[in-house]
Amino acid sequence: MGFGSWVFGVVAVMPVALLAQGISFGDAPGASAAKKGHVVFISDGAVVEAGKPEVIELQFRVDEGFHINSHTPPDALLIPTLFKVDPGEGVKVLGEEYPKGAAFKLGQGADAEMLDVYQGEFRVRLRVVAAKGAQTLAGTLRYQACDHAACFPPRSLPVQVAITGK
Amino acid sequence: MRRIGVLAAMVVLVGLLVWAGVYNLRQRRAAMQRAQIVLVKDGTNPPAASGSGSVDVSELGGESLKGKVAPAFTLVDISGKKVSLADFKGHPVVINFWATYCGPCKLEMPWFQEFSGKYQPQGLVVLGIDQDEDMPRDQVATGAKKSGVSYPILMPDKDIAKNYALGDYLPQTFYVDKNGTVVEESVGTPTKDEMEANIRKVIGL
Repeated sequence: MGFGSWVFGVVAVMPVALLAQGISFGDAPGASAAKKGHVVFISDGAVVEAGKPEVIELQFRVDEGFHINSHTPPDALLIPTLFKVDPGEGVKVLGEEYPKGAAFKLGQGADAEMLDVYQGEFRVRLRVVAAKGAQTLAGTLRYQACDHAACFPPRSLPVQVAITGK
Repeated sequence: MRRIGVLAAMVVLVGLLVWAGVYNLRQRRAAMQRAQIVLVKDGTNPPAASGSGSVDVSELGGESLKGKVAPAFTLVDISGKKVSLADFKGHPVVINFWATYCGPCKLEMPWFQEFSGKYQPQGLVVLGIDQDEDMPRDQVATGAKKSGVSYPILMPDKDIAKNYALGDYLPQTFYVDKNGTVVEESVGTPTKDEMEANIRKVIGL
């Protein structure tokens, strides 16, 4: 067998070796869940008319099985979901509008507590004025996630949105 | 000669990749088997079947304190009084980590309150340790009051979470027997029956 055949053989085995590596990718379920933030930002950039007030939507997704408080939770001790805009030039934010939360019953019977939460996908609407050209709107979504039996500390998700003013 | 060297290097590389993959796969399978053992131990049902949200610490990749001596601490309660774990030497102690933002914590705290009264004759002590970030004592007190608890609520210091190997999850509870050993621990809210079973176990009933 020539050198070329040997090389071909080794290269042919490579996908199997890589597949074997792929099997081990990812942590144990609990461990990976513990590292996750449970909320992701999924919006694309936006194109708006330069110099005029326009509404853009920031779309987020909460992991299945988890919930975060809405912007207006029923208890002052609960941490509301809040989008904070970073100071910057090129995009001015005139206002924010949060979606209504959904009722979420925690617990059963007399011990149950009603929460107001976001689950799955939700959108925060921003009224913005962008300068002409490519701009970046930066901010942070602050939220606090729980599942039906445990909670995670409050987290801050950095968000950057590419906005083109035309 | 150079060709043979290159070929040998490639063979070694592929061999290493396959070995590492197989090794990791075996480790993962072993971890899964351990997790299954944890879920059915002591004849209990898995959480999904029992309705409990409580899970074993080891399932979350955290360090278990079970079987170890509960880490000592001296903390300040919401009235400003110093409280040490050593103050309760000889008593079974439940140490519950909670936060005011944590709904499931507030769900189980009234149960701790109820059981602290029910098993007071057996010397049971329940201690709540707050895990809010930089929250003033009066606000923590407000949160505890809303949950209807009167057992001691302690403010955290910089070491307590590390010493108890707390992860990201709350609530987290340690059941310590009268000898100071952690007998049971749970993450998340258990069912009320599970909580009482843990308490009875730590009391020795």
